[in-house]
Parts: sequence; structure tokens; C-alpha cells
Amino acid sequence: MAGKSGREISAVPENGLKSKILSWEGALVLILIAVNILGVSISPNYTANNVFREMPRYLAETFMLFGMGYILVLGDIDISVGALVCLSGTIAVLASNAGAPFILTVLICLLVGLLGGMLNGIIATKFTELPTMIVTLGTQIIFRGIAEVLFETWGNGGGTASMADTKGLMLLAKRIGPFPIAFFCVIIVGAVMITILAKTTFGRKIYAIGSNKTAAYYAGIEVERIRFICYSILGLLAGVCALFLLTATFGSNTTTGQGFEMEVIAMCVFGGIATTGGKGNLIGGFIAAFIIVCLRIALGQRNINTQLILVIIGLMLIVSVLVPSISSALAARKKKRSA
Amino acid sequence: MAEDLILELNGITKIFPGVKALNSVHFQLRRGEVHALMGENGAGKSTFIKVITGVHAAEEGKMFLEGREVHFKGPKDAQEAGIAAVYQHPTSYPTLSVTENIFMGHEDIKNGMIQWRSMNTKAQALLDSLDADFKPTDEVGALTIAQQQMVEIAKALSTNAKIIILDEPTAALTTNESEKLYEIVEKLRDEGRSIIFISHRFEDMYRLASRVTVFRDSQYIGTYDVNEISNADLIKAMVGREITDMYPKEDITPGEEIFRVEGMTRTGYFKDVSFDVKAGEIIGLTGLVGAGRTETIESVCGITKPDAGRVFLEGRELSIKKPEDAMKAGIILLPEDRQKQGLILSWGLGRNVTLPIQEELANKWFNDEKKEWQVSKERLEEVDTKAVTIFQPASSLSGGNQQKVVVAKALAQSNMKVVIMDEPTKGIDVGAKKEIYEIMGDLAKKGYGIIMISSEMPEIIGMCDRIFVMCNGKISGCLSREEVNQERILELSMEKGSTTEGGAAS
Repeated sequence: MAGKSGREISAVPENGLKSKILSWEGALVLILIAVNILGVSISPNYTANNVFREMPRYLAETFMLFGMGYILVLGDIDISVGALVCLSGTIAVLASNAGAPFILTVLICLLVGLLGGMLNGIIATKFTELPTMIVTLGTQIIFRGIAEVLFETWGNGGGTASMADTKGLMLLAKRIGPFPIAFFCVIIVGAVMITILAKTTFGRKIYAIGSNKTAAYYAGIEVERIRFICYSILGLLAGVCALFLLTATFGSNTTTGQGFEMEVIAMCVFGGIATTGGKGNLIGGFIAAFIIVCLRIALGQRNINTQLILVIIGLMLIVSVLVPSISSALAARKKKRSA
Repeated sequence: MAEDLILELNGITKIFPGVKALNSVHFQLRRGEVHALMGENGAGKSTFIKVITGVHAAEEGKMFLEGREVHFKGPKDAQEAGIAAVYQHPTSYPTLSVTENIFMGHEDIKNGMIQWRSMNTKAQALLDSLDADFKPTDEVGALTIAQQQMVEIAKALSTNAKIIILDEPTAALTTNESEKLYEIVEKLRDEGRSIIFISHRFEDMYRLASRVTVFRDSQYIGTYDVNEISNADLIKAMVGREITDMYPKEDITPGEEIFRVEGMTRTGYFKDVSFDVKAGEIIGLTGLVGAGRTETIESVCGITKPDAGRVFLEGRELSIKKPEDAMKAGIILLPEDRQKQGLILSWGLGRNVTLPIQEELANKWFNDEKKEWQVSKERLEEVDTKAVTIFQPASSLSGGNQQKVVVAKALAQSNMKVVIMDEPTKGIDVGAKKEIYEIMGDLAKKGYGIIMISSEMPEIIGMCDRIFVMCNGKISGCLSREEVNQERILELSMEKGSTTEGGAAS
């Protein structure tokens, strides 16, 4: 039964180089270049070698960006991961101080993150009527609370825990050529996570759930299973973040990871992911992360107050969210004028 | 003017993008009468009501209120002119009190303070006049649908409405509740108010209305005295065409049984529902709103969990726990609400079509987009979708074409054996309806088992080999194509007694 009217429907996508360059990701690349030019012009120390040397401590939270991207595309949110970083790092430090070999310490750090993410996933998928903001606000308080109990009981006093044996961590902080190991890890994890979201059936399901959860369910997608997996991935990446954070701090304290969740959400939104779900991709967030890292290094070298960076990130975030509405308003005005 | 007309509309035309929802229709309402407005779904009744209440502005036509021409810019104008509407599902504020709902928008205010005591007293007086069994301070969300409708009527009275429009008020009510509503309507009429009553139920019309106006396919067909028109003539006015033209149902000798449901039960929704389909057969599942049809099918397809019941496909029992299980077995559901359940409106047509089969087409874990484009293009052309490209969003299509995309999505699932269509023609125009029927006919010819859920009797009668009628969560009868007619369906849809248990509103 071919179409009775013989009407043809085109199956050729309209995409050209032009639309790629004009996209938001293109704009972000330009901003990244501009930030680097700014860095070079304001600081004589802003060289490739120095940037890579200083990068690891800023790079750690970038790992979580990818997991958070999945959660936001699902239309959910997870604000517990900053506290989870603190908990993972703290338990890893205490395990190491209790005599665990380095490999075991690493595994414990990742495992605590994974379990924390799975806990979020279980609550969010078993009690679907709860808003995930509230679920993860609850677990945020729990995670940080457990960490504080641990500081009290086994820490070095004053809400801190320092790692006694740092040989293993020093190994992770090494560089291969000019590039720190953390940089390679971010690139690899980022490439895998971006590809999964953009190219696989799993990624397509995430978009389907974020766009219309009911229709996705009716189309045979195991909505709650996918959500659970995404929360678990984000938890695991919080563990990775905690590990790389330790390579710069060699310990943890009550403020470790504070605000990370919001910065990571900000990077995602800056990169073009809508918090309402179903829209955006991780490439933009990836570039946005490097924009912020480079900006931090450049301003840090000039000893510009580190709090100022927050003001700048906040401003960039608001502008990036405004861009679509500004451009559509301009387009509407143009249309009106020509009509 | 010889007659005492309170409201008159002449030559009203309303155009929505792609659809003429009203084509030069007329309407006259006398003071103190109950006037029924009837017609099939999609005939334009609701749009017409929205023109009267100022929600829509008509492109053409004039409206006279007590002889003076009026132009409503919005619902507020209509309200101030004394027109109020009560809908099937009350559009109230469920978390607020009865008083707050009644006086929403015209609260008693003195010195900038809301006068709760006087409002509550007034609300109590209104409720007393309606013989209501709840208090002004009750929360509206905790009331039954019938009670919520009373709140809406009280709200209409509080604005001293002269014209009250009731849009399918009895559809979600039990027989007892309907009777109470009839009494209220008669009381309002005796007080000199004029009432427009929309309903699909003939009994409502015979019980209440003195005159009836019929719309069909967005056009005015005529106005009749209820006592002077026979039921058959009225149906002909509503349906208008020879039913056989509209429904291309061929005589196919059904093959062996392909699908059987036994003893489906979900407490509070439906009880002991059994039916079967043969290859090449179209069966209908009908009944009033709230009879439990959609709920039954959702349990069959694994969307909700039944308390009991067995499902057999080609003689083998299936264990269906989630939607995926039903789909893998070849039982494909076209859900009732295509915009919420059937499609992802922001996605391109192609992606929608291949969503359930993306893993089949994929190369290991990776989407094979070229293959997806090809498959979706073929399926969308097969059902003759009016679209330019497979990349345009589903939201850009009309309702009928959106439904075709849902059909294309089902057809793309090559393992399909049984197709279940829940209200497949709801809200789509006559042309697209006919195309959907043709697709159904073709699928039957190819030997699929087809289940159609529908409230529209003409399509049930026109397309189905056998018709299962549901009433209050139970199958109340099965009619063959030879013995079926509207009266028999209605008889089975309506409960004999007057009490209700089991059935819940959908």
C-alpha cells in the first residue's frame, strides 16, 4: 500500500557547514579562544605549560559535568553530588590512613560514589512522585552529615582528614609530556559520554524520556531503569571527581565539594542543555568547562580575587540562557518590519 | 421580533490553521428555555460554545444579546454580559475552598480586605438553593465531579448569569447524580434563566430540552422541536451521510482466534473482562466514558498492573509486565491521547516512528540514522501523511496527520500481530477519519487482529465485526455486526439499576 496520493516526504537532512558554525557550540569555541587571548594578554605566565600544570585542581569537577548532563536531559536534577564528592574523598582518606593499599583506596573512593548515586537512583525511581530536587536535597544533607560524623570520629580534628601516605596520589598527579593525567582522563570520559548520549540507542532513550516521559513509557522504554542507570553513572563520576580532587588537596574537610553541583549544572546550562529536559548536548558543556577552567587560571595568575570568578560565571550563565530569547525576539521584530 | 430571543448568532465562522471549525452557523436561544446542542465529536459544538463565552473570536458573523449586537473581547466580557459555562470536567481550583471558587474574580472586598464571613454566607445561600450536600468551607478537590459541577453552577448564579451553558455535564455522572442535575436545570429554567445543554446522550435531551439544534462537520444542520422530530431523523441529521460510504469495511471471513483476554480485573476500575479477536477481524470496545475501556486495555498492554487476568496470543499465554513485553509479543497499542502518550511532539516525525524499533535498526549500540530515515519515510508515505520532511516536528501537523504518524509508528513494528486503537479518530476531521478507517480495513485484510475502542457509535457500528459493550467496569454484552444498532449499544451501556459501583472516571 504505497501512498495513494503519491506524495513524497523528504528524508534528506538540511545541514550545512554554515549551521554548524553558527551553532551555540561554535560560539562557545570562539569564547574559549577569546578567554585564552585574554589570558595571554593579562598575564605573562599564561603559557600552555603553566595552564596544563595548574589545570588538575580545576578539572576534577568537570568529570561530573557529563553525568549531570544525562540527568538534566532526563528532565531531572541531582544536587547531592557536591556532598557525595566530600563523602567519597573522606572515606578514601580514612581507608588509606587505616592502612589500605592505594589501589584499594581508589576502588573505595569510586565505590562510595557509585553507591551514593545508586541510592539517589533507587529513591528517585521507586518514589516517582517525589521531585528529584527534594530527593537529592535530602541525600545531600545525609552525605555531608555522614562525612562530618567521620571527621569527628576518625579525622585529624577541626573537621579535616589528611592523607598520611600520598605516594599513590602523587603518581596520579604526574604529567605525560605537558598534559596532566587528569586531562587525559577528562578527554576520554568526555568522549565516551558524549558519544553515548549523541549516537547510541541508550542516549536516544534519555532524550525520549526528557522530552515526554509518558510517550517514552508507552513506546516500550524502561523509563525507571534508564533513570536509575543515569543516577548511578553520575555517582560514579562524583567518585572520580573526589579522587582527582585528592591529587591536588591530599585530604578533605567539611567544605570539600561545596557548591560543585551548582557549578556543574551551570556548565551544562552554559553549554546549551535545558533544565526542562530533552534538549541540548554535552559538547557545549565540555567546551564551557574549559572556558571556565582557563578563565580561572588566567584570573588566578593575576591574583584577582577568586570570588570574582563566581560573578563572571554567573553573568555568563544568565547571558547564555538569554541568548535564545534575545535572538528570537530580534527575529520576530525583523519579521514584523518586513511584513 | 415575534419570539423573545435572549441570544442569537448568525453566520458564525471560525477558522483554525488548516481547519474550518465553524462554517456560517446559526443559533437562537429563547428566554427561559433549555436548548440542546447536538452533533458528533468534532462537529464544532465546543468551538461554538467558546465563541459564545468569548474564548474564541469568530472570523465572521454577528452575535446579538437581547437584541443588541455584542462583541466579546474575552471571557470576562461574556461573564459580565451574564453568560456562564459549566464544563464536563470542572475547571476549578482544587486546593481552594468552595467559597473561594464561587467568588473567584469577583470577591467581596471592603477597604482592601476580603469579606470572608459575608462571602461564606452568600455561598451557603447559593448552595442551599441548589440543595447541595456540602459546605462552603470544603476544599473543592475533595468533592465528587457532580459536586464540583454544582460549585460551577453556584459560581454562575453568583454572577447572576442569564444564560448558562452546560457542556456534556452528565458524561462523568452516575444515573442518580444525573437525575439531580436535571432537577437543578429545571429549577434554573423555571427561574427564567436560559440554558444551552450539550450532550451525546439522547436521554438528557428528551428529559430536558424543548428544542434541539444540530451541527455536523462544522455546519448548521437545523433546529427542531424535540417533540416533533423522531429519533431516527435526529440521528440522520447528526450523522448525515450513508454510513456505508464512510466506513470501508469489507466482508472478510475472520480466521482463527489470534488474541484472547480472560478475566481481566483491576479493583476499582474493571472486573472480569474477557474478549477475543480473530485474524482479520475488527472488534469494538465501547461504552460510556468511565466504563473502564481504556483502563482495561492499559492493563492488557502492561501499562498498569491488573489484579487478575490472562492474555493469550495465538493460543499461548503471555506474561505481560511492562509495555515492552506486549510490544515484543506483537501487541501494539495506539494510545488514546496521541499528544501526550503517542508522540513526542518536539521530535521530528521520523524519530517518532522509529523510537520503538531503534534497537532493531541499530548497529550494535549505535543508532543507524540512515536506516531509520529510510524506514520512517516509507511508513509515513504508506499512510499518506501530509508532511514535507521526516525532520519536521510532530507538533507542526494537524490532529489527523499526527494520528497517521502514530499509525506509521505502529506499522514500523514488523512483528505486529494485534493492533489496539484507543479512540483513533478522536478530534480529527472527517477526511482524515475516513483515511484511518481505510488503513484499518487494509490491516484487517492482511490478517491482523484489530481492537478499536471508541465512544463514537457510528464508527463502531460501521467498522466492527463484533462489538463488546462495557458498563461500570464490566462487559455488559457482545453484539454481532448483524444485530447491532445504536439503541442496543445504548441499552447495554446504561446500567439497569441506578446505583454505581466499580466504574471510575477515566
